[in-house]
Amino acid sequence: MYAMQKFSALFIGALLFASCTEERTISDPGNLVPPTVDQDANLPSIAVNGISLHAEAFGHPDSTLVVCLHGGPGGDYRYLLNAKSLADHGYRVVFYDQMGSGLSQRIHRKQLDDMGIGVLDALYDELKGVIALYRTHPEQKVILFGHSWGAILATGFAGRYPNSVQGLILCEPGGLRWEDIEDYIERSRDFSLLGERLNDLAYLDQFITGHRNAHAVLDYKYALATAQNPVTGEDNTKAGSFWRNGAVFSEALIDMGEREKPDFSQGISQIAAPVLFFYTERNKAYPDSWAAHVSGAYPAAERYKIMGTGHSGPVFETRIWNETTLPKMLTFLNAL
Amino acid sequence: MKTFQYLLAALFAWVDVTVDAQTVNWSRYTPENKHFIDLHGGTEFGMAFGIAAGTHFRIGNLPLQTYVDFSMPAGNTWLDDYKVRIGGKIRWFAVEHIQFSTRFEAVFRREKNDFVRLLNFGSDMSGILGYYRGPWFAAAEVGFDKAVVTHFQHEEAYKDQFPGVRDGWYLPPTGGNFYAGFQLGATIGKQDIYLRAGRILVQDFKRSPLIPYYSQIGVNAKF
Repeated sequence: MYAMQKFSALFIGALLFASCTEERTISDPGNLVPPTVDQDANLPSIAVNGISLHAEAFGHPDSTLVVCLHGGPGGDYRYLLNAKSLADHGYRVVFYDQMGSGLSQRIHRKQLDDMGIGVLDALYDELKGVIALYRTHPEQKVILFGHSWGAILATGFAGRYPNSVQGLILCEPGGLRWEDIEDYIERSRDFSLLGERLNDLAYLDQFITGHRNAHAVLDYKYALATAQNPVTGEDNTKAGSFWRNGAVFSEALIDMGEREKPDFSQGISQIAAPVLFFYTERNKAYPDSWAAHVSGAYPAAERYKIMGTGHSGPVFETRIWNETTLPKMLTFLNAL
Repeated sequence: MKTFQYLLAALFAWVDVTVDAQTVNWSRYTPENKHFIDLHGGTEFGMAFGIAAGTHFRIGNLPLQTYVDFSMPAGNTWLDDYKVRIGGKIRWFAVEHIQFSTRFEAVFRREKNDFVRLLNFGSDMSGILGYYRGPWFAAAEVGFDKAVVTHFQHEEAYKDQFPGVRDGWYLPPTGGNFYAGFQLGATIGKQDIYLRAGRILVQDFKRSPLIPYYSQIGVNAKF
């Protein structure tokens, strides 16, 4: 009985204490997640097809464009920023957070659902718009550098517009056909019923819930859910891993994929652009056989395994980037 | 006005504490065996295991059960996540073998993950309508688990991503889940064994938690 009274006093005390402090809600941007470009005018942004995108570009405007496409879907380009150093080697490097992702403007869930498979057209149009915005002359070459989901998006775009890109640098696209993507997602999860990760994630649902368009709340939960993945070797607890995830966009795109089963390899056999295909030693869901299977869809792909790192390491880990990824990319780019 | 609302919430929380309980066969308690200890395990926002202890008494004609329950999910780190519930269950009516009871719990829960430590005070309320006959019972339950006020203390790993993150108490309520399911149980001697299972839905009725179902197997002993 004493324990019960003590607990009650603690409970009421906590509520009274909370009542004396400034009200703070989990749904307000800036509390648990940073604001997006439409909420913070100080962030670098561009407008493409009526949507505000978080974006930056480095290097001489007339140089060959290298457009970086982040993973997710729903991630952001922060972990790709080592690629800025391509500007020091004579390239124009463009980064942007895709619609509904990172620090870019959010899209209402119903709007995404109503688009159906058309959401992919919207993403291709967006990429086309980004290229058009940064391209200064018709002879300027365009290279797409996509990581994970970004590599899938780059492939779909190149298949749709085969003459619009002069080279593809791709890092561990999970798959290109939806069945392959599902297979990869399944294998890359670390969900043991008695394990810490699944239980941390599931337990969280008691503390924080949000409706379908509660972007700030769901983005925050997404971040907590993706802190580390021992299967793929990702570690988002390292400084500078991300700004903010787009949970609603990510979920909508996965749901669309399950319904529509898109094939991102369509048209890819028509492309003349050379492909540099990276995969990593420490991504246990991406063995040599999987890399051969996925890269086999491209007519001319040079496959390269990066040792000593996992899924996001080739760009995010500065040592790996400087010693392995960048030199390999420069050799590829300079030959185009 | 806000302070008044919080005081009302606090008062409500006090009511929670004074009337709340476990899965129980009401018909099998006697004045000689009014205390119980309960062990349970199952899936409820993770794979969780718990222990509870409580007692039965009466207020007028209304039988009441109060208890304390401690549970924690599986995982590699001991006691980084747990939940303490202090509750009571009151049986409002019994007509023949049909009985209706309500359950109120004051909940304290903690979670620590790579990015944040969360402390939450909440409440869990449910109604149970069941058929209790002799040594066995079957009942339906509907309830709502609310995370009323939550304290966020972020790790450096998250501050490295977003230095502007604001630690502290967050209110209005940060979460809520409805649940509906069934209870089945039987009494063998001084022991009850029971099964609870059902569906969980986020309070907007459109989303589900990662594990959208709950299930619990338990055994309690009376003394």
